[in-house]
Amino acid sequence: MNPNENTFVACGSSKIDASLRVPLLALFGGAAVWLIVGLVLGLIAGIKFHAPEFLSTIPMLTYGRVAPAANDAVLYGFCIPAGLGVMLWVLARLSQMPLVLPMVPVVAANLWNIGVLIGTGGILIGESTGHPWLEYPRAAAVILFAAFLLIAVSAAGTFGWRRERALYPSHWFLFAALLWFPWIYSTASLLLNTVWLPRGVVQPVIGWWFANNLVFVWLALVGIGTAFYFLPKISGKPLAGSGYALFAFLTLVFFGAWCGIPASAPVPAWLPTASAFAALLTIIPILAIAIITIKTVFGSGVSCQGGPFCFIKFGVVCFVLSGLMYVASACPQSSRVLEFTWFGFAQTQLQLLGFFALIIFGAAYEILPKIMGGALPFPKLAKLHFFLTAGGVLLFVIPLAIAGVEQGKALMNPAIAFADANGVTLKFLRISTTGQLLILLGALLFALNIFVMTMKWQLALVKSLIAAVKAPLPEATAQRDQEVKV
Amino acid sequence: MSDDISKRCCLANESEPTVTRSTVPMWIIVVTLVLLFFGGLYFDSHGDWGNQKLYKPFTSAEQLETFQPKSGAAAVMAQGRASYETVCGICHGSDGMGKPGQAPALAGSEWVTTKGVNRLAHIPLAGISGPLQVKGQNWNLAMAAMGAALPDENLAAALTYIRSSWGNQAGEVTADEVRNIRAAIGNSPPMLSREQLLALPE
Repeated sequence: MNPNENTFVACGSSKIDASLRVPLLALFGGAAVWLIVGLVLGLIAGIKFHAPEFLSTIPMLTYGRVAPAANDAVLYGFCIPAGLGVMLWVLARLSQMPLVLPMVPVVAANLWNIGVLIGTGGILIGESTGHPWLEYPRAAAVILFAAFLLIAVSAAGTFGWRRERALYPSHWFLFAALLWFPWIYSTASLLLNTVWLPRGVVQPVIGWWFANNLVFVWLALVGIGTAFYFLPKISGKPLAGSGYALFAFLTLVFFGAWCGIPASAPVPAWLPTASAFAALLTIIPILAIAIITIKTVFGSGVSCQGGPFCFIKFGVVCFVLSGLMYVASACPQSSRVLEFTWFGFAQTQLQLLGFFALIIFGAAYEILPKIMGGALPFPKLAKLHFFLTAGGVLLFVIPLAIAGVEQGKALMNPAIAFADANGVTLKFLRISTTGQLLILLGALLFALNIFVMTMKWQLALVKSLIAAVKAPLPEATAQRDQEVKV
Repeated sequence: MSDDISKRCCLANESEPTVTRSTVPMWIIVVTLVLLFFGGLYFDSHGDWGNQKLYKPFTSAEQLETFQPKSGAAAVMAQGRASYETVCGICHGSDGMGKPGQAPALAGSEWVTTKGVNRLAHIPLAGISGPLQVKGQNWNLAMAAMGAALPDENLAAALTYIRSSWGNQAGEVTADEVRNIRAAIGNSPPMLSREQLLALPE
């Protein structure tokens, strides 16, 4: 297509949505499967705390392999591709421009899934690199990087040839995320996943920098960029204050990037000190985002009915909570208690499953009917998905955070033996496993909606194909032409 | 618009969200500057501006300095111990008790706790061979000039260390004393025998 033609003709949203149908089904479908895989692996890892002998005879399913495989399957398998799918749709809609090179993201989505399969399989057979959040072996890292670049080409092309020239705050966040991932992933992979490893404490420093930039900054950029698009759209009010949004964006990118080095890390003291300093300053973007959300959402007259609005609002609340937990675990006074406990795990899971996943679910439920041109097959199950996931996240994360504080206090007390200090957390772990189960059930409902919708669409395609074959010749040609146009 | 998921609509031409134009509010800039100020104070007092040698829980090079042994007896003993354990302790043992058939004890040895340091300092500088009595035990071994390669300060510190450790309570050896003896015997002196050693002034 020639992007310069029809520049001044408004492009119907239906045409834009149609161009995104196949890429988004590919991205969302793969993401839904990996979410289930990740949550099942996470559940297996969780059960091992109640029954250590559970599946302990299978080397592939021992805790040391299942736990990182679960984290990576959720982050690389679900969060990133689903986030990219939402990003493509939002960028195309804001640009008033059908997706440029729509087949490229389809190829990339399949490539990405192969990368995640190799990576997760690699961890399970014991080929992990050992660096948290960068466990995928080299082959998987190369594939993921290439797939991301392909999607980025399509997204950047859509943005570059946009018909609506004015920029909206979501643009800043999403476009920054598009550049952020290739930068951090190539840097960390080249330094930690090749044969020219730097020696000594430089390795964990690079690992912490990467993990923070992916799990905190990248997810925040995509999640908040998405929320800033959908909240005003659903509430029918304009987004409150471009000044707040600009300041939130700049401070998030500037200070967020150097958080992540634990307060008592055995590296030269200026590194954790600078990191704690930056973590203190990230209170500013968190505060600004909370204010924007409150101003945009309140007084809109839209009540929460378990739909996309609910998902996204809940996601932003989780973002604020997880951000404050992140600051607390970086602050030297509180980190002394919280380090080496469940608290950090709780914060990460809140970031992944509470904040990011909830916003992506909400966005997907908003987008899917539009790109498919019809309602969801099971809208009631989507509502149930919200209550299952929101309840599941609360049950999963809150007990773990409390367990972390209790465990930290017990570890600080020299009169309590190490095993007893860890034993304190057991009753909390039992509740959190229930939460994991609820989140998994919700994810199954999400996958059900997507796959039934995809199958219905494929069935309709086959039907129209049969009809076209059966029809008299000239009409059939006309119909095929029409299909090509759509 | 409602949040009912079953009523998601697919309008032909939906409007895209807009943003109210505003400047960055002053109060949030002020809060940022205040946090920057206190964060900066914390970084200044705890980070030591990129000092590669400073680790947590220490907060500055000056504080770290207070934990180092000062010049004087403690520093000499620390240096002496380090030199002793890399050079002498391998045979004589880090407890100074020696090893049977390999090296005599230094703890309580009459050759170590002499009044002067002349004879003692000759042993590591020149080496010793042949029959020797230590604490009433007969030895017949040879020790090369193991201390000749050490700088004067380090050898003096190591000798001070063996003269005041493991119950030994003899005086200090200075670097000048070692330097003078080294100058007197010259480069690569022959190993001494017990008789030659006893002929030297104590």
